[in-house]
Amino acid sequence: MSPPEAAVLISSINILVSGVFNAAVLFLVSAGLQIVFGVQKIVNLACGSFYAIGAYFGISALAWALRLDLPVALFIPVLIGSGLVLAVVLGPPVERLLRFIYHRDEHFQLLLTFALVLIFEDIIRIFWGASPLQINNVYLAFGDLRLAPDLTIPNYNLMVIAVALAIAFGFGWFLQKTRFGKMVRATAENASMCEALCIDLRKVYVVVFTLGVALGTVGGALVIPATAASLDMGVELIVDAFAVVIIGGLGSMPGALLGALVVGLTRAAAIWLYPEFEMLAIYVIVIAVLILRPRGLLGKAAA
Amino acid sequence: MVHVSILQASELKKFYGAFCALDGVSLSIGQGEHVSIIGPNGAGKTTLVNVLTGLLSPSAGSVTFRGRDIARLDPVRLSRLGMARSFQLVNIFPQLSVRDTIALAAISTLGLGGRLLSSLQKNNAVWDIVERVSALFGLSSKLEQPAKNLSQGDKKLLDVASAFALRPEIILLDEPTSGVSTADKSNIMQVLVRAAKETGIKAIIQVEHDMDIVFGYSSRIIAVHEGKILADGSPEAIRARADVMAAVVGKL
Amino acid sequence: MSVASLDRPITAAVRQRSPWAYAVPVLGFSFIAAFPLIAGPHYAILMFSAMGFAICLLGLNLVFGYTGLLSFGHAMFVAIGAYTAAYLTAARILHLEVILLTAAAVAVAAAVPVGLLCIRYVRIYFSMLTLAFSMLLYSFLYKFYPITGGDEGLRIKMPASLLFDVSRMDTVGILTGPFYYYVLAMLIALTYLMWRITASPFGLGLRAIRDNQQKAEYLGVRIQRNRLIVFVISGVYGALGGVIVSIPVGLADPSLAYWLQSGNLVFMLLLGGYTNFFGPILGSVVFTFFQDQLMSYTEYWRLTFGIVLAVIVIFLPNGLMGVLDPRRRWST
Repeated sequence: MSPPEAAVLISSINILVSGVFNAAVLFLVSAGLQIVFGVQKIVNLACGSFYAIGAYFGISALAWALRLDLPVALFIPVLIGSGLVLAVVLGPPVERLLRFIYHRDEHFQLLLTFALVLIFEDIIRIFWGASPLQINNVYLAFGDLRLAPDLTIPNYNLMVIAVALAIAFGFGWFLQKTRFGKMVRATAENASMCEALCIDLRKVYVVVFTLGVALGTVGGALVIPATAASLDMGVELIVDAFAVVIIGGLGSMPGALLGALVVGLTRAAAIWLYPEFEMLAIYVIVIAVLILRPRGLLGKAAA
Repeated sequence: MVHVSILQASELKKFYGAFCALDGVSLSIGQGEHVSIIGPNGAGKTTLVNVLTGLLSPSAGSVTFRGRDIARLDPVRLSRLGMARSFQLVNIFPQLSVRDTIALAAISTLGLGGRLLSSLQKNNAVWDIVERVSALFGLSSKLEQPAKNLSQGDKKLLDVASAFALRPEIILLDEPTSGVSTADKSNIMQVLVRAAKETGIKAIIQVEHDMDIVFGYSSRIIAVHEGKILADGSPEAIRARADVMAAVVGKL
Repeated sequence: MSVASLDRPITAAVRQRSPWAYAVPVLGFSFIAAFPLIAGPHYAILMFSAMGFAICLLGLNLVFGYTGLLSFGHAMFVAIGAYTAAYLTAARILHLEVILLTAAAVAVAAAVPVGLLCIRYVRIYFSMLTLAFSMLLYSFLYKFYPITGGDEGLRIKMPASLLFDVSRMDTVGILTGPFYYYVLAMLIALTYLMWRITASPFGLGLRAIRDNQQKAEYLGVRIQRNRLIVFVISGVYGALGGVIVSIPVGLADPSLAYWLQSGNLVFMLLLGGYTNFFGPILGSVVFTFFQDQLMSYTEYWRLTFGIVLAVIVIFLPNGLMGVLDPRRRWST
């Protein structure tokens, strides 16, 4: 292989790896958005906020782990654990709040979640301050995979991709194979019928919402070795998560996967090739999808 | 009576995937007719009416109104041409008052829909129509009420009244008396017929399940069965057809 | 649409308009007119901005309150107004009248294509699509530094006017003096225009579209055409308001188009009450002053806003005007 060809290949692999890494995290958050929409029919603008607060809490958790001198191998479980803990603490109360507006016009639902965005931003400020936080050295501590003299792939990226895939499969298994998962799918299809069949809707809603929050907080926690936690991250992510959901289709889990890949790879490619068009490219795709195929590439919801 | 054709359908077909809802329906509605379309549930009556009124486009065949092809015309243009309809499931504006609902139709009739700056309140032509139509339908005392507060019967009347206020030439009524108590049914029909005469409607097509009403008010009956026209004739002719009565009445 | 949603009996117009119906606008505008004389310059300038937002919100409520489409991208028009002012004043075209007319023209040029694409969709898709377009503008303004000044934005110089000479006045004097009343006159004129629109046959058609789109079509209302007209009008109002609010700031920057700004606009609208014609004006005044006071008391004003918004959404969906006038007699 000649040097220019090798360079292109190396660039492509780098784009692929960072793109899929972004996609993995984006998938987790978007999956949270999807499942809440699918079951409760609410578009949760605050999913980005859960991502952000998960990131900050993840930093605290990692700092704690570092102080206890825990081995590097435990870091990912610690991060996932911190995300889960946060979700269990935040999910039920927020769901209780949203319960006030389940039967209202969806405009109000959107606005209530917008109120949550504002509230969470200041909660982060109160606990962690306004400046970005970063935890150093953890990312590098995982080491690299050396494929070739010029080509190294950070192990952390690979592990996060693996974790996201595992969660995706686990989720799919949960929805298809377990009894509760079937109840969730049934509720998404026809909630009033489920109520008539004596399924406890309230329990389903709380669990589903907490799961959605968990996907966001875990996603945020997993990303912090690689990036800094900042107040903007939630607000920016929401637009990406929406792009994912629109491209993939509202209410569709495979759609979230596909959409996440499209957005993640497009961003990675744009950053390497045409940085000015990074954000533009995503929005152009979103608008194109909304116009040409409003249900999304794999979606089921009617326009 | 000379048949002056207003609405003509020719070999209408409508497929939902592989399912054939209309299989070659042809009919011609003329001036002065009060046609009832009858048939068991799932026979294709509502599909036929929906195709005739622009809600659905046919898979094949043509529909013409006074010679003009209306097969794929949107409801707005249809209303301008002179065709209006009411709906089987009550279709009203919950938040608008009775007065405003009828006014809306009057606005379309008078061609004022695009007027952004003129005052609606001061437009006497609109309120004239509102007064006359509401009087015809017995809604004069309820003008200020939001439509969602009306009784079921009054809601149906409002749905029909607003269609009448468009001053159409031909009106399609989709089960105008369904969901209404028996006592109210004949009242509604009498109001309808009288209103049609007063507003100059030239033909009425009515999808109907209630055989008493069908035989009491129609000048012509079209029986639809499994997407085809089973029979088409005067009430006496239809009553004499045992197969029609069995297919339609038997399955009710 | 759920029963508990838009809960107001709407009549086309009041049969006999009682004298009280005029009380709200007369009192309100008189208060605003007298305001610079009773409050200090800081607050007068705040009211100046509030008037600008009131203009934006009048347009937004036409799309949301009357036509039922929640735009989460209205900020793009505010940004259009601000950047138009920036480009024109940088090119030494300083007359406010010219700036306003140009901003309106640019808004129309943007609103027509965007509107054509967005109005075919309803409910959540409309909100998301308008959000996407606004963010598209944001990213364009942010990234293309040579044209747009990037994240630093572009300066807006104090405009002049064809009607009077402000060249010898200082900024505060202008904003609390001639321009203040200029903008108030604009607000009154634009309010009157909006009133005429909502009280027209066209306006009734809008409410019908919102209530039952299918039936409206069967009664001859042209859905897409009317929605587009409404979207364009709201865009013009948004841009005019954008010019006004950016004058005291003196800067046009990309964050004006960010989706959080659109959210703020909707918040203001809900605060004032979207079911009442004057809700937008009340909302922008209350919000502007509330934000100013709140920001000087605490750095956690977002938390307060979030809680206030949550309370409004859950318990007071008709906003302040809903509380002040539950009968909504003159709401159109």
